[in-house]
Amino acid sequence: MSATLTAAPPVRYPPGDLAIWIFILAELAVFAIFFASYAFARMGDVAMFNEYQATLDKGAALINTLALITSSYFVVRAIAAIREDQPKTSVRWLLAALAMGALFLVVKSAEYAHHFGEGVRLSSNTFYMFYLSLTFFHFLHVVLGMVIPAAVALKTHQGAYSASEHTGMETGGVYWHMVDLVWLILFPLVYVMR
Amino acid sequence: MNTIMKTQIAIRPCTRIYLLLVVLTVVTFAVGYFELLSGNRALFLSLLVLGFALIKGQLIGDFFMGLKGVRGPWRFVILLWLLIPGTLITIAFTLAG
Repeated sequence: MSATLTAAPPVRYPPGDLAIWIFILAELAVFAIFFASYAFARMGDVAMFNEYQATLDKGAALINTLALITSSYFVVRAIAAIREDQPKTSVRWLLAALAMGALFLVVKSAEYAHHFGEGVRLSSNTFYMFYLSLTFFHFLHVVLGMVIPAAVALKTHQGAYSASEHTGMETGGVYWHMVDLVWLILFPLVYVMR
Repeated sequence: MNTIMKTQIAIRPCTRIYLLLVVLTVVTFAVGYFELLSGNRALFLSLLVLGFALIKGQLIGDFFMGLKGVRGPWRFVILLWLLIPGTLITIAFTLAG
């Protein structure tokens, strides 16, 4: 009993394949440049950025943030389930995570449809240029991120992962968390801060 | 048995972290939705919600990505990433007034 309550000893490397962490760092560096560029470009015309930021749908952004956070949590539960050697439960959590990802894509697509219907384009102004390029770049990462849990869910269903070997699932999981992590900065920066 | 107990022990903090992430997200939304970012407090509240985002990011890194149990340079990789754009955004918003 006491052994189970003892914290696991620290490990030298993060969960998942080390290569995915290198890839994630490269992705995060690109997003960091995007975020800093947005913030410094805003200095050139604060009033214009504030005016057009007010046209964004904060309710949709809230739903999307909650969808990604919930999706990340479901992935944590999926990995916990496979560690308990419960592949069926793990697959169910992964499918739930995918459903949250799909909700994000639907809500974001509706937002784009609304803006395009209003005549908003990349060339409309600097704010919309950043808004559309930043959020669409992230949108593509969500699409890619959904392919990975879907593949992991399929492999789990086929019995590829177990309590003793689930590195592939952890690798897919950390990529999905990265997609969530980026949105957590993007949401206040683009939708709220002024 | 040991694996199951260890996992259950690990899940509880993750559930608490998830609920904390939800609360901080709703607070961030409320600050924007109720247009609290006006006048003298705009910069302070903007940096406050940015601070919430950085805390949320570190929680994701530590508990969801599993970096809390890692020693050495990988332990701080997400924190370092959060601090770089976080500092630049803070500088840009402060200079913009």
